[in-house]
Amino acid sequence: MTDRYCLWMALLFYVAASALTHRRLRVGGAAASLHHINVLLMVAGFVLQLAGLVLRGMNRQRCPLTNSFEVTVFIVWALVLFYLLIGPAYRVSFLGAFTAPLVTLILLTSLLATNDRPRVPELKHSPWIEFHAGIGILACGALALAFVVAAMDFVQSRQLKSHHPGPTLRLLPAVEQLDVIGVRLLALGFILLTAGMIGGIISEKIVGAWPWPMVAWAWATWLVYAGLLAARTVGNWHGRRAALATMAAFIFLLTTFWGMSWLAR
Amino acid sequence: MNLLMIGLNHCTAPVAVRERVAFPRPKIGEATCELLGAAQLAEAAIVSTCNRVEIYALAANLDLAGPALRQFLHTYHKLTEPLDAYLYERRNRECIAHLLNVVCGLDSMVLGETEILGQVKDAYAAAQQAGATGAALNRLFQKAFAAAKHIRSSTAITRGSTSVANVAVELAEKIFRDLTHSTVMVIGTGAMSEATTKALRSRGAGNILICGRDRDRSAALAAQLGGRPIHYDDWVVEFPHVDIVISATASPHPIITREKLVPLMKARHQRPLFLIDIGVPRDIETACDELENVYVYNMDDLQNIAKENLAAREREINICRELIAERVARLGEWVEERFQ
Repeated sequence: MTDRYCLWMALLFYVAASALTHRRLRVGGAAASLHHINVLLMVAGFVLQLAGLVLRGMNRQRCPLTNSFEVTVFIVWALVLFYLLIGPAYRVSFLGAFTAPLVTLILLTSLLATNDRPRVPELKHSPWIEFHAGIGILACGALALAFVVAAMDFVQSRQLKSHHPGPTLRLLPAVEQLDVIGVRLLALGFILLTAGMIGGIISEKIVGAWPWPMVAWAWATWLVYAGLLAARTVGNWHGRRAALATMAAFIFLLTTFWGMSWLAR
Repeated sequence: MNLLMIGLNHCTAPVAVRERVAFPRPKIGEATCELLGAAQLAEAAIVSTCNRVEIYALAANLDLAGPALRQFLHTYHKLTEPLDAYLYERRNRECIAHLLNVVCGLDSMVLGETEILGQVKDAYAAAQQAGATGAALNRLFQKAFAAAKHIRSSTAITRGSTSVANVAVELAEKIFRDLTHSTVMVIGTGAMSEATTKALRSRGAGNILICGRDRDRSAALAAQLGGRPIHYDDWVVEFPHVDIVISATASPHPIITREKLVPLMKARHQRPLFLIDIGVPRDIETACDELENVYVYNMDDLQNIAKENLAAREREINICRELIAERVARLGEWVEERFQ
């Protein structure tokens, strides 16, 4: 069984979870049985994706973070990991409904794209580089889930403000709860991002200086998230404005990721 | 043996008749035993709620059992006037279909209400304890409960509140994560604000402040709702701790304006605020809704949502009837094979 085969299998489970989401939206109910099936499908996808990453790591004899395909697959895996940790803890059953389609879309695009080629020149081997990359990816996973939660928060606030809420009002959690989860995910993502930055600084001593635009971009991302976290905790930012800012910050993070891939080429 | 149901409900009988025919809950078991003997029935169960009184029975001869059940209602309640004009009768498959419609809330005054299921369950338990049920009614009621559960989870017949007070509570639950930690302030007393506050209280709203110009009236309402009375002039002082405001004053001008709200929102660290305006003329300035994290709903908004929810339930009726028809066919076949 190849790693890509595992990833395609994982994708099938995520597609099934997305289809279930569509059904839940159509029925307009929050049937507990459908929610449990949704979680089980996500767990199955997560396990298969992990198997795919492990197989690839064993083949490459290193952490599979050597090209943009692997990095994207890792981010998706981290996003599902945080969903599985956060969803049951906060009893936010509909979080999976927003997460599944996003995960499906990103993974499908990655599997169909042609960017799964070995990196030239190959990255130097260093546990600090792998720590920097691994923690950075986990940070992206947490911040991606913060993006999902912010999207839910935005939709729910908008519905409440419209005075004519649709059927999704009942499916989505309370705006206050989404706000709390969003801030905690931001804090977690920021801590991981900071740890990843520290790993990057240390690895610089081992592999030599990173290109300065890469460093500047990384610091810009860190500053954006530091400012956002401060605004949402100390500055009392809540509601649609905070949700929009969180979504915008994640889009900026993605531009950093693509920008760094481009710079690396 | 045949299934038979005789009864009256809110559509066929006025409340003056229903209250005279109702069976007090503690006496239902005893009445069911009396009924078995009086009408020569094999099995029986009495469902008695504020909106309906229905007797379900298994009888050898329907032509004898029907009049006997009518006579029992007269005799038991010592009625002097005839009831026939208010009563309806359903037999075999029609009887099964009727019970399924009742437990699913399709025959209720408020379409899709769920309270009736609990009431029918209680009635069945009372009949079972009295030893008045057997194979037929046991299966009939258990299948009816299973059908109600299935229909409630697979259709939207019970979804969305259809009363203004419950719509307000439903919205509050989508703004605040836990109503037990929410503080509700009622400005101005009236039937609607009282109903909404009671609905919030029933969902766990912990801290209730009653604010009115008439101190005695505020204190009386506060005592009734388990809240704290405050003077009308003090509402601004309490406001930073409040999450939900129900305003129903007779003031000719808005009492909560954008100008007043901006510094108050700052004082409450921009936490979400739910303003329910049931005053006519309105108590809350429309511009307040433009503020971030402030959700303003007036009487028209709440009524429109309640109407939309009711319309959505009505759209589900045909799906429910199809699901019920399948079950009636299966259960009807079983009754016919086993008892006829």
